[in-house]
Amino acid sequence: MDRFIADLVKNYESGAIDRREFCKTVALAATVYAAGDAAKAQAPRGFKMIGINHISYTCPDYAKVRDWYVSVLGMEKAPGRDDGQRANLMFGPEPGKGGSFVVARNPPANPRPAARAFVDHICYTIPNWDDARVEAALKATGRPFTSRPGNKNVLDPFNYPVQLANIEEENPWK
Amino acid sequence: MEGFIATKLDEFDRGKISRRRLIEALTLAATTVYATDAAKAQAAGSAGPALKVALVNHISYSCPNFRQAGDWYSKVFNLDQVGLKDTEVTLPFGKMGEQPYNVTAKDVPLTFIIARAIDRPVNPRNVGRPKPEAVIDHIGYTVADFNRERAKAELTAMGVKNVREAGMQSLHMDDPFGYDVQISGLEVNALRGG
Repeated sequence: MDRFIADLVKNYESGAIDRREFCKTVALAATVYAAGDAAKAQAPRGFKMIGINHISYTCPDYAKVRDWYVSVLGMEKAPGRDDGQRANLMFGPEPGKGGSFVVARNPPANPRPAARAFVDHICYTIPNWDDARVEAALKATGRPFTSRPGNKNVLDPFNYPVQLANIEEENPWK
Repeated sequence: MEGFIATKLDEFDRGKISRRRLIEALTLAATTVYATDAAKAQAAGSAGPALKVALVNHISYSCPNFRQAGDWYSKVFNLDQVGLKDTEVTLPFGKMGEQPYNVTAKDVPLTFIIARAIDRPVNPRNVGRPKPEAVIDHIGYTVADFNRERAKAELTAMGVKNVREAGMQSLHMDDPFGYDVQISGLEVNALRGG
């Protein structure tokens, strides 16, 4: 707890947080601590990452990209989650058990200011990789793609780069 | 398969693809569906797509200072940094040998972020690529034991900027370069979130 407070003070002194935030945070930490959740009230050491929850994908026509991600990448439309402006496209483990989804959406009325960084592509893993099968499937889409064994790069309907790979070609320790 | 054929035909009728392209597409699709592996052929025929992505392999993130980004994501999400190069660093969502959460297939690696220098040399494979008309405007991450108020306090204490609520079960924040990052627990999923 003391390290937590010390870090908080440091942030307050450096101007990273204001007085109000400081007070609010200490009060909250005290509540959590008092509730007996001491372990969780320890110094901030970050979160335990489980995985990607969702990818928010904004494009001129969400329906077009929805259909492409379903038909080409095998994602599934989440029932009841298509409101005519956006749709959730599921893949991986079951929803609520670590599954991920792409939110394909039309542009919002009031977009956030552009960041100084961007996600330039997403790579997806395809299990049971079969080079010929992947290549044939991509050729069938008519979209441009490049091909190396175990690794393909294709442009989706809005020219967003999508990479498909197997574990040999793309893993963190390669 | 029928849907795919109808789509291709429609594109051909509207002059969007040539006859040659139509034939090529349908031939390849048919070849894929009726592959030698009977089980695969059956699955492809009934389910439609020839491919099925299992998990995000990695997110390629370009930014003005990849070391700073790497340090931020390491701090906030407890991620190790591996494979440091001149213009990038890799942050796996776990340790070597671990399986992704609820994934049993042995050929699906842990997801990772690659933080990259925005001014790195252009990959020759990408020269001449058209500019995307789409953007990934934020990424949502699933974290263990998510509690909004506790998470908010932790993020604030870590000096994370622009932490804001997004309903009862998630938070948004800015990373060091103003990129929108969302966190939530397993409760936020395709059937009830995003």
